Amino acid sequence: MAERDARIDRLLLGQEIADFLYREAELLDERRYREWLDLLADDIRYWMPMRRNVKFGEDEREFTRADSDINWFDEGKDTLSRRVKQIETGIHWAEEPRSRLSHLVANVQLQGAEPSFAAPQQVSVTSRFLIYRNRVQTETDILVGRREDSLRRNGAGWLLARRKIILDQNVLLSKNLTFFI
Amino acid sequence: MAVNGKRGYRSGLLNLGVGEISREIFVNEDIYAEEQERIFARAWLHVGHESQIPKPGDYFVSSMGEESVILCRDRAGRIHVFLNSCRHRGMKVCRYDEGSTTVFTCPYHGWSYGTDGRLVGVPYFREAYHSRLDKEKWGLVEVAQLCNYKGSIWATWDTAAPPLTEYLGDFTRFLDLQLDGWDGREGQAEVLGGIQKWLVPCNWKFPAENFSGDTYHNISHRSVDLAGIGPSGAGRRDMGERDASRKLHVCIPDRGHQTILYVLPAGKLPPPAYMNAPIVAEYFRHCAEERRRRRGDESRLIGAPGEIFPNTALLSRQPRTMAAWHPRGPHQTECWRWFFVDRDAPTEVKQFLRDYYIRYSGPAGMTEQDDMENWNYAHAASRGTIARRHPYNYDQGRGTAVADYEYQGLRVPGEVIDLTEVQSSEQPMRNFYRRWAEFMEADDWSQLATWRSGERKAAE
Amino acid sequence: MSAPINVRDLVPGTSVVLADGAVAEIVTNPGDGMWLFARYLTSPRDPTLVGQEEMIFAPDVVALGRSAVV
Repeated sequence: MAERDARIDRLLLGQEIADFLYREAELLDERRYREWLDLLADDIRYWMPMRRNVKFGEDEREFTRADSDINWFDEGKDTLSRRVKQIETGIHWAEEPRSRLSHLVANVQLQGAEPSFAAPQQVSVTSRFLIYRNRVQTETDILVGRREDSLRRNGAGWLLARRKIILDQNVLLSKNLTFFI
Repeated sequence: MAVNGKRGYRSGLLNLGVGEISREIFVNEDIYAEEQERIFARAWLHVGHESQIPKPGDYFVSSMGEESVILCRDRAGRIHVFLNSCRHRGMKVCRYDEGSTTVFTCPYHGWSYGTDGRLVGVPYFREAYHSRLDKEKWGLVEVAQLCNYKGSIWATWDTAAPPLTEYLGDFTRFLDLQLDGWDGREGQAEVLGGIQKWLVPCNWKFPAENFSGDTYHNISHRSVDLAGIGPSGAGRRDMGERDASRKLHVCIPDRGHQTILYVLPAGKLPPPAYMNAPIVAEYFRHCAEERRRRRGDESRLIGAPGEIFPNTALLSRQPRTMAAWHPRGPHQTECWRWFFVDRDAPTEVKQFLRDYYIRYSGPAGMTEQDDMENWNYAHAASRGTIARRHPYNYDQGRGTAVADYEYQGLRVPGEVIDLTEVQSSEQPMRNFYRRWAEFMEADDWSQLATWRSGERKAAE
Repeated sequence: MSAPINVRDLVPGTSVVLADGAVAEIVTNPGDGMWLFARYLTSPRDPTLVGQEEMIFAPDVVALGRSAVV
């Protein structure tokens, strides 16, 4: 019985976290950026390393490092807020007219919960994404990869405290990153 | 347009005398093919930085024009740049971005080269080649000339090209602003790990002419100024030192290099900057004092966007970065960015600058994003049949450049326009394209290195 | 024909037996899976090679000899 309860706790938590990620994706796709920012913890770290082609066995060289190397993104809430502010000026030409975006979130896997699945305060979750971006007339980008997230309990809901984005590209194939992943 | 009395490249494409340039130069396939031969096969190109290959065996795969090259350091510590292509049947001998190795081996037939480029391993050399292959002749193709200038590595395929410092001429001091320490010590730069590489659907000359010194497009960056990403919170950079300075366009006409430049008044140090981080602000204040002490009047030069012909962009402060605009066909450019700090700067300074660089430049750079959007769609519009009948206007400030510019005792070389009141000019673009036409037309360096014969270019 | 051997990660000091019966000891391994730099210990076909360091092509390695203890 206890084992079944534990499995149910995990199942319910997994669904709750997946719902959070889907809702987050919808906010971005609907361009409700202010509400999206409200889902971010004040101390969020939002990091997307660059990837190198490396020799078999030299995986330590593959990703650029947080804090010291150049990355695609490696920033906190202040900079993320300024990105939103820039879009909201209506004159950020790289995102004006605005792109049409669809964030497909898949392979959501609850990795862990502290202190417990029954009463979690912090959760780690991985997911994969496929982002379809279409802009102006025929400009189309597809970005695919994986996310490693840490969520923190906030009242009845959650905040995104940390996101590491692993994009499956080397040379970036889209001319810009004016959208969130 | 006549260049040095000649008819000029494809008469009618460039009419610099009236400030007009045809859209063809951005979209024409034949012109693009000629650029690969006449420009990228002859000019000095930026390949990387020695800090990327610190130890023997280290390598970094780079690009010269369209072609993949390997920047590496051999066992004896010498730096080389090789064409990344097996001499046998062409397969790339290195498809990793960077690393360390003792040999470069081709996966196709196994030919293997040392880090000095020599062909060392040939399968069945005794049996199939009867030991008759002259290995000395079949090493990796090496650039004709290589120059390590204060850590930055430059290369050219042309044995006849002038040495790099002669190629740069009076522009050398602006490359110095990029590579010397903030405190005035020589060559203190190191490259931060992670070279940004991304594709933009435009001709390489759009970014090249932008970084030559487009002082007119500030309005395009209004959104990032409103968002306020600058290191003191406001705008996109600290404007104090610029506001206190004369604002110039500096063009080196014989060479085709040009830059925006700010010159502080005599005796004035840069105003406080980087106010969001007191440690960083103090560091730069101290550096500015030291630079003044070491370099005197020369320390009044404040770097800004500039371009070394053909496709190396400089920006020496806020942010400190170099770019290469690699041609990938007439309609696409692969942009590469290197970001610099002084190698002995405190960790907090490096981290602060790194954060700033990322949000300023590159595809996630809130400033550069709008540049790329303009380049993308300006290029697209240049392709139309009707569009191509209508040249672009490059007339701004034509005829207003002066030689022998001096401001409060500091002489600035080249042809200079003081922009402080007039705000903007397109002199750098005219300078760039005139050089472009010269390269496209010249049979050899006697026609390009005109300074050697004392021939003096007129400002246009 | 013997089963192929992946020479990529063989450590220096390892002995390899070659197709012509020679035995060589790895001096350096460039890690490319195609070549080894090895010194001939024995070479029945061409005794002048004994003691010489040569580049050995991977398909010529037919067996591993005594490995170095690392």
